[in-house]
Amino acid sequence: MSDSTPAVTREAAETAAADGGAPPREASSIRLEGLHKRFGRDTVALDGVDLTIEAGEFFTLLGPSGCGKTTLLRILAGLEEPNDGRLLIGGRDVTDTPPHRRSVNTVFQSYALFPHLSVRDNLAFGLRMRGESAAERERKVAEVAEFIQLGSLVERRVDQLSGGQKQRIALARALVCEPDVLLLDEPLSALDAGLRSQLQVELQRLQKRLGMTFVFVTHDQDEAMVMSDRIAVLDGGVIQQVGTPSEVYEHPANAFVARFMGHDNLFAITAVDGDRVETRLGRLRLDPAEQRAESDGWLLIRPETLVLGDTLPAGYNRLEGTVEERLYRGSRIEYRLAVNGQPLMVVASNLGQRMHAVGDRVVIGVCPEDLVRVAA
Amino acid sequence: MVESSLTASRRRAVVGETRHLLFSVTPGAAWITVFLVLPSLYLMAVAFMTNGPYGLPEMPLSLDAFRQLAGFGFLGWSPGNAYTLLRSLWQTFVSTALVVIVAYPLAYYITTCREKWRPLMLLAVVVPSWTNQVIRTFGWMNLLAPGTPLSDLAESLGLIGPHMGLYPSDFAVTLGLVYNFLPFMVLPLYAAFEKLDVAQVQAAQDLYASPVRAFWHAVFPQTLPGLLAGTVLVAIPAFGMYVIPELLGGGKSMMLGNLVARQFSGGSNWPLGAAGAILMLLATFVGLYAMRRIGRRLGGGEEVVI
Amino acid sequence: MRKRTLNRGLAGFWWLTLAFLYLPLAVVVLFSFNSVNSAAHFADVSLRWYHQLLGNEQILSAFRNSLILAIVSSVIALVIGCLIGYGMYRHRHRKLGWLIVLIYLPIVLPDIVFGISEMAFFVQINRATGLLEPGLGTMIIAHVTFQIPFVALIVYSRFVGLDPTLFEAAKDLYASPFKRALHFLIPTLKPALISAFFLSFTLSIDDFVISFFTAGPESATLPIYIWGAIKKGVTPEINAIASLMIGAVLLAALVSLLFNRPRRR
Repeated sequence: MSDSTPAVTREAAETAAADGGAPPREASSIRLEGLHKRFGRDTVALDGVDLTIEAGEFFTLLGPSGCGKTTLLRILAGLEEPNDGRLLIGGRDVTDTPPHRRSVNTVFQSYALFPHLSVRDNLAFGLRMRGESAAERERKVAEVAEFIQLGSLVERRVDQLSGGQKQRIALARALVCEPDVLLLDEPLSALDAGLRSQLQVELQRLQKRLGMTFVFVTHDQDEAMVMSDRIAVLDGGVIQQVGTPSEVYEHPANAFVARFMGHDNLFAITAVDGDRVETRLGRLRLDPAEQRAESDGWLLIRPETLVLGDTLPAGYNRLEGTVEERLYRGSRIEYRLAVNGQPLMVVASNLGQRMHAVGDRVVIGVCPEDLVRVAA
Repeated sequence: MVESSLTASRRRAVVGETRHLLFSVTPGAAWITVFLVLPSLYLMAVAFMTNGPYGLPEMPLSLDAFRQLAGFGFLGWSPGNAYTLLRSLWQTFVSTALVVIVAYPLAYYITTCREKWRPLMLLAVVVPSWTNQVIRTFGWMNLLAPGTPLSDLAESLGLIGPHMGLYPSDFAVTLGLVYNFLPFMVLPLYAAFEKLDVAQVQAAQDLYASPVRAFWHAVFPQTLPGLLAGTVLVAIPAFGMYVIPELLGGGKSMMLGNLVARQFSGGSNWPLGAAGAILMLLATFVGLYAMRRIGRRLGGGEEVVI
Repeated sequence: MRKRTLNRGLAGFWWLTLAFLYLPLAVVVLFSFNSVNSAAHFADVSLRWYHQLLGNEQILSAFRNSLILAIVSSVIALVIGCLIGYGMYRHRHRKLGWLIVLIYLPIVLPDIVFGISEMAFFVQINRATGLLEPGLGTMIIAHVTFQIPFVALIVYSRFVGLDPTLFEAAKDLYASPFKRALHFLIPTLKPALISAFFLSFTLSIDDFVISFFTAGPESATLPIYIWGAIKKGVTPEINAIASLMIGAVLLAALVSLLFNRPRRR
């Protein structure tokens, strides 16, 4: 337990802690430069991560389990030290600052509420550790309780709370400290679907009202898209793509991102001929913006951009296929078609048009502007 | 590249962790080493020294102590120590067997009772062992002394002579051992019964017509780890028992523990006592080793002990 | 039908065994109220032996010794054992085989071997250096040695039962190492610490063999005094003092048990 932080950073951290009571501070940006993290000899968790998170942004780290997103979050919190690289929060290098001297707070996946303390004392814990006066603590706890609408929960014992209530308390316990950055480690993953989508909206609204920098970790791409200003998709300890939800969804940087964002219609490009590409579906014409000479990578066709019908708008690519499966989802209808022996998903909005039956031959229209070339 | 650029902070952290480990563990580890490991090693060394005039060990090194333990003295071989060793083994065997016979149905019965009663029942079995061993044994002395109802009963049945009392005797020692070690067997057996796979038992009841065979093929093998754990927990300390034979045996029913203790108090022959202690240590480690081996093979034996 | 008979038989056996287990203790307590000095004949209820205890200087001194020994050794063992328990938890992913062996050694070693090795060792150190004069000091050393493992294991198992992210939450919420110990570790461990203290206390009060071999001429504890009195055959007050000890130990052990139970939700 050695505290060998340079005196300068310590002073800075103490000043930061001392004026914690001031009205909402400016949000802080985060810079990660060349972060490496290994566990043991040969488990690489992060393999050179460079990233800038803007002040006041709702930023999401998205990826499958083991992709390094949680390690990255723990490095931001100071719970894990990088083997190499630098971390700057609000322009200050905090790579070597221990977690209790960082103005960063975390909402843990398991909530980590102290069982030996009441809800009120849990909320006040961080303020108390920072040495704020009792009156100050009381005022701030009351404020946050009001803000998050905790109501009578504050008077309960921790073991009397439901999962959703624990989640709110954990959030309030972190927010009450008014950190530069709030980290959220899959905070909704333990909740049931209904509560989850309700809290997704609440969290996003809250972040906008506070203007605080949020870094959110999840493996659920829908959650990431609903909530985030920007998303970083990670795999194998490497950032695969950073962008807004629509950029990541509509123009995935590579096949991994495309698949992870839920795209099924990916077809290997076998040849390029001018403005056309050859796939196992057939030859398809691309928008000039997507044209490249290399005959590699994949063609992404988003199922909701496809049109079924005999008469196609001018310029559309025409494919023919058979309906193999039909899923009625109320607001939309999903068809799984076979086109030249390849499976192709089509999603049609349910506007009252005639439904196709399994076994029907159908004509599919593909708008060239909706075709996206994806790197391997 | 990453390998070479291990940051200073990371190296500091590794050193810090090791220092932390040393800081937290050293006082206790050093305490046990200085005040138990060194003394035990010294005692083992004593067993290979010669007995001096005041019962203290002296050079040169010799195996005299072990010879004496086997019964060879100045006057040739005498059976005294051999009897003591044999009695220790016999008492250990008989009392362990009796403990199993009592504990087995008891542990089974507890598992058949309602769940909310079970912790209380286990507590009831364990509570007497929390009290001082000398006091418990003293209680038995009071119960078995001449003129008490139990002694009178035994006398009227012709089991003992008039005014003899049930103690001091080998019987009293066995009784004391069974009393003392019963909880040590009930707990691991109970744990084994509680984990019993009921489906297997029912299947066996279908397969084998007789309940005896169903028990033997389905129940008994599943309780074996608990039984073995209990046996080690009972047999090892019973083999080295000091208080019970001293009080209930009245000098006539010495066991190894008494032989060893005497060499360090009255009789004063440290090397002989140390040789006896080595025998006990051997028994302990053989027992623990056997249990680990068997426990691993049967699965689940070890956790029962701890 | 046959099953019911079996169960009735087992129930009978259960109550018989309970009687067997409690009979010796009951006899001691019962005869402590006997008005005459006899183990066979109960004459009248009286507090005579309890009164005599108060006048027996030897018993009072043995009582004092037992109490000092139990309290001092338990406090030392609590501090040392806690540190080990915490170290074992913090570094549970490392190979700590040697430490585990060391910690289990006092538990598995037969009492008599434990007692005589320490006695032999202390005597030789004393002859060589004049240190470790047999007495309360050597007894405290010996008791701490067998208490450390129990404290360490209780503390360790309490730690293992905790959500590991609680440690991180404390760090995250601005608690320095010192404040983490004060505001998180110690409050969280409090039940385990109380339990470990009372268990150590009980073990110390209960111990006879190890005390017997490490005691000096002036440092007889209650079990040693009782032992001597039984051996000499002078036992009038033994029932009374033994009854008090039974009561005290049961109380301490129950307290230990209550605090070691995981909190219910």
